[in-house]
Amino acid sequence: MKNYRNFCIIAHIDHGKSTLADRLLERTGRVSAREMTMNQILDDNPLEQERGITIKLHAIQMDYTANDGNSYKLNLIDTPGHVDFSYEVSRSLSACEGALLVVDATQGVEAQTISNLFMAIEQGLEIIPVINKIDLPSAVTTIESVKQQVIDLIGCKEEDMILASAKAGIGIDEILETVVAKIPPPAGDPKAPLRALIYDSIFDAYRGVVVNVRVFDGTMKEKDKILFMNTNQTYELDEVGVLYMQRKRTGILEAGNVGYFTAAIRRLQDSKVGDTVTLASNPTTNPIEGFREVKPMVFSGIYPADSDDFEDLREALGKLSLNDSAISFEPESSTALGFGFRCGFLGLLHMEIVQERLEREFNQVIVTTVPNVRYKVITTRDEILWVDNPSQLPNPTLIKEIQEPFIRAQIIAPSEYVGTIMKLCMERRGTMLGQSYLSADRVDMTFDLPLAEVVFDFYDKLKSNTRGYASLDYEYSDYKQGELVRMDILLNGEAVDALSSIVHRQKAHEWGKKLCAKLKELIPRQMFEVAIQAAIGSKVVARESISAIRKNVIAKCYGGDISRKRKLLDKQKEGKKRMKQVGKVEIPQEAFHAVLSID
Amino acid sequence: MRGYYLHIPFCEKKCSYCDFYSLETTQHIDTFVETLLREITMRADAPTSEPVTSVFFGGGTPSLLSIEALTRITEHVRASVPVAPDAEWTMECNPGTVTAESLQGYAHAGINRLSFGVQSFTESELAFLDRIHTADEASLAMQLARQAGFANVNMDLMFAVPGQTFASLQYNIERLLALEPDHISAYSLIYEHGTPLYAKLKKGLVTPTSEDTDAAMYALVIDTLTRAGYEQYEVSNFARPGRRCLHNRTYWFCAPYTSVGPSAHGLLGTTRYWNHRSLTQWTAKVHAAELPEANRETLDTQEQLTEFLFCTLRAEGIPVDIIRDRFGIDIRQALGQHLTHWIEADFIRDTGAHLRLTAEGYRVCDELTLHMLACVE
Repeated sequence: MKNYRNFCIIAHIDHGKSTLADRLLERTGRVSAREMTMNQILDDNPLEQERGITIKLHAIQMDYTANDGNSYKLNLIDTPGHVDFSYEVSRSLSACEGALLVVDATQGVEAQTISNLFMAIEQGLEIIPVINKIDLPSAVTTIESVKQQVIDLIGCKEEDMILASAKAGIGIDEILETVVAKIPPPAGDPKAPLRALIYDSIFDAYRGVVVNVRVFDGTMKEKDKILFMNTNQTYELDEVGVLYMQRKRTGILEAGNVGYFTAAIRRLQDSKVGDTVTLASNPTTNPIEGFREVKPMVFSGIYPADSDDFEDLREALGKLSLNDSAISFEPESSTALGFGFRCGFLGLLHMEIVQERLEREFNQVIVTTVPNVRYKVITTRDEILWVDNPSQLPNPTLIKEIQEPFIRAQIIAPSEYVGTIMKLCMERRGTMLGQSYLSADRVDMTFDLPLAEVVFDFYDKLKSNTRGYASLDYEYSDYKQGELVRMDILLNGEAVDALSSIVHRQKAHEWGKKLCAKLKELIPRQMFEVAIQAAIGSKVVARESISAIRKNVIAKCYGGDISRKRKLLDKQKEGKKRMKQVGKVEIPQEAFHAVLSID
Repeated sequence: MRGYYLHIPFCEKKCSYCDFYSLETTQHIDTFVETLLREITMRADAPTSEPVTSVFFGGGTPSLLSIEALTRITEHVRASVPVAPDAEWTMECNPGTVTAESLQGYAHAGINRLSFGVQSFTESELAFLDRIHTADEASLAMQLARQAGFANVNMDLMFAVPGQTFASLQYNIERLLALEPDHISAYSLIYEHGTPLYAKLKKGLVTPTSEDTDAAMYALVIDTLTRAGYEQYEVSNFARPGRRCLHNRTYWFCAPYTSVGPSAHGLLGTTRYWNHRSLTQWTAKVHAAELPEANRETLDTQEQLTEFLFCTLRAEGIPVDIIRDRFGIDIRQALGQHLTHWIEADFIRDTGAHLRLTAEGYRVCDELTLHMLACVE
C-alpha cells in the first residue's frame, strides 16, 4: 500500500490538464509516442474533444520507478471539467490523497480552479502547484504575478511550485518525483470490512455497468457478495481489476488501490456516484460520507420534430441514459408540439450535451423548448407542488407563494471589469455577497443569484462583457420566495403552451416586449396577419404583429418551368412540414427557444 | 388534348428579363430549320395516337423564320403526327417585325393564332425591358393581324416593371384594351437567374417593385381586365369567352406534349424530357441520329400528383373527381380545416367540380400550393 499514490489534476479548461495527463502516461510508458499522436487520450468522447471539456471520468494506473529506486503505482483519476458536474468532481477528489494544481502561466487562476481547489483542501488533499505553459513567450511578463496568485491562494513557498510545459515535456519528471515524495500513500486497513467509494460508472454493452471505485479499507475479490449501502442492493462480483489504458483484470482489489468491477448491474442508475460498496457478509459500520442523490436543476422539453418519431425519441433517450445517469425524462404533451419529454439536466452544459448527443449519436431531429428551473409552489391549501414546466403553474388564485432555486456564484476577473460584472449580476436580480482581491488586478466576487437568471445566456454575457477574461463557478444554495408570474404568449389570441415562461414580475414587461419582438423576427409572414401578445393572466403586457403576405406567386409556369418548380416546391414543402401548427399559425422550430437569443 | 411545341432560338436582340434559350443572331437559321425538321421526324412515333390539338411556335422570336421555312415546318408537323383539323396553331411574334405580307404568309402556313410580346405602351418601360418595338408598332401589328384575318390574337402585358406607376400601368391597359385582343397574358416581372436584369438587380442597379405595389398592381390588372370582359383562367392569363389558349391549358392539365428544338421540354405520359440548351449540342445530336435530350425523368405517382395539383390550382382549378379517380385522394378531406379557412378567407371557391382560386387566392397561389402539398403527402 505504501507504493500507491492516488491523485488528480485540478485545472481550468485550456490550462493544459489533458496534455499534462498525456505526457505523464507517455513518460511512464503507459502509451507509446505513436499513440500520443491521437492526443489527449483521456478525453475519448468526440464531443469532449471538440468542446475541450471532460464530461465522463476516467482513471489510469501508471507504473513508475522513482529516483529512490522503488517502483510505484500511480493512479491518475480524471475529473470532469465543468461546473454542472461539481458533485462528481467532489467524489473523485475523495478518491485521492493529492492533487496537481495546474495553472496556466499566462492566464492565472480561474474561478472553477479555485472552487475545485477549495474542495480538495477541505478533503485534506496534498496540493502540488504546477505552473504550466512556461515556454509560451507571453509567460515572461505574466509568470511572476501568476506565481504570486498561487502563493496567496494556497500559502505555498515559491520553491514548492513546479515550472512546467506539458506540451514541451518540461518538468514532467519533477512532477512525478514530487507526486511520489509529497502525496501520502493511502492509509487504510486491508483487514477491516470492505469500504470502497464509487466515483464513476460507465455502461458497457457487453458487461453492463462497469463501476470505478477507490478501495479505502478491506479487499474485494471476484465472487464476493457486495452491498451498495445507499441503494441497499446486493450483487456478486464478476470481474475485478485495475485501469490501464484498457481494463486489466486482476481478480482482486485491495485497500488503497483504484480500479473497477462488474457485477451484472444492468442500469447505470443503480450504481450511484458517491455510494459506498461493502461486503454483504461483513458490512462496514462506517459508510463514506458525502453521498447525495444527484438532482436535475435545469429542465427543457424535448420533442420529435416529426410527431411520428415519438417512440424513436423515447428509445434514444433510454439508450442515452444508459451511460448518462444524470438525465431524467418524463413524457409530456404540448398543444403546440405534440408528444415529447420533459427532461431534467444537471445544468446548461449538460443539457446542450444531451441535445447534441441525441442529434449526433442517435440521429434524432428534435425541437427543444426554453430551459427553465424547477419551482417550488406553495398553494393556498399549503400543499407543495414542484413545477418544472411553466405551463403547469397553477392558477394564480391557488398560489400562496412561489419559490425558486438560487445559486452562489463565484466570478473571478481582472479588476477593471468589476463594474460591468456588478451591473450584469444586478440586472439578473443578483446580490453581492463578497469581494476580494486575489492580486492587485484580479478580483474574486461572490453573488447570490436566481438560477433562472443564469440558465439563459448569463455565461455568454459574462464572457462577452469581459472579453472572455471572467470565469464563473457556482454551487446551488437554496430556494427563496420570489415575485414570480407566468407569462404566456398568444398568437392570434391562442396561448402557445410551449412558449410560456415564469418571470419576475418587475421584469415581465421588458421581457414580454423583447420576446414578442424576437418572435416577430422568427415567425414568417403568413397568409393573414398574426398578432403576437405576451400576457400575464388576462393582462396583455406586450404586443407585435406580423403583416400578411401580400403576394406570393410566380407569374410564369409553362412547359419548361414545371419540373424545376416541382423540385423547388418539394424542397419548400420540407420546410413547411417542420413548422409546428398552433391554430392557424405556423411556427418554426427555432421560435421555441427564441428567448435564448434575446439580447 | 395534346400539344406540340417548337422552340425557335433566335432573336434580333435579347430582352433583359428573358430567360428562354435564344441566340442574338440569325446566322445559323437555315441549318437550324433542317435540323428541326429531322427532330420532328425522330419524334413522330410518340407513344400516343391522340391527335395534336395545339401547335405552338415559341422562342426566341419565331417571326424571324421565313415564310418558306415556316411552311416547310408546319407541313412536316402535319405529315409526322396526326393533327386535329380544328387545332390551334399559335405563333409568337415581335410586334416590331411583322408586315402585312408576313402575316398573310403565316395564315397560309396554317397559323390561326398570334401572340404579340407587347409588354407596355410606355416608351420608357419598353426601353427598360430592351424591347425593340415602339408602342405605335404594337397598335399597327394588331391592325395588320386583323386585316390578315386573324380572329384569335394574344397580347402580352408586363407589370411591376421598375419605374412603372399606377398611372402608366392604367394607361398601358387602356391602350391594350382599345386594341381588343382576344387574349391577354399579364405578367408580373420576374427576375430570373442568369438574365442581365438579374445581374443588374444583384449589383443594386435596379430597385424592384415592392411586394405591396406588386400586389396592388396585380389587383388592378385583374380588376380592370375582368371588368372588360376577360375571364381569368390562370395566374397571368385572361381570355374572352371561348378564347382560352388551348396549348397552355395542355401544360396546366399535365396533358401530353411533344416538343422540339433546343431547350424544349416535352411530356409524354409520365416521362418528361428536355433537349440540350445549346444549339451546337442539339444540332450535333440530331445529326448523329440521336434524340437531342439533355435528360429525361419519369414521374412517380407522388410527383405526378404534385405537378397536377400545382398546375391545375394555378389555372382552372383542381378537378375534384379527377384527383379522386387518378390518385385515390379525396382532396377536400385531405385539406380538411385548411380548406374551410381558405374558403372563409376568400382564397378558394369550391365550385363543386373544382377548387378554384379567387382573385385574392391567385395573389398567394404559391403559398396555398405549399400548404396543399404538405397536406396530401
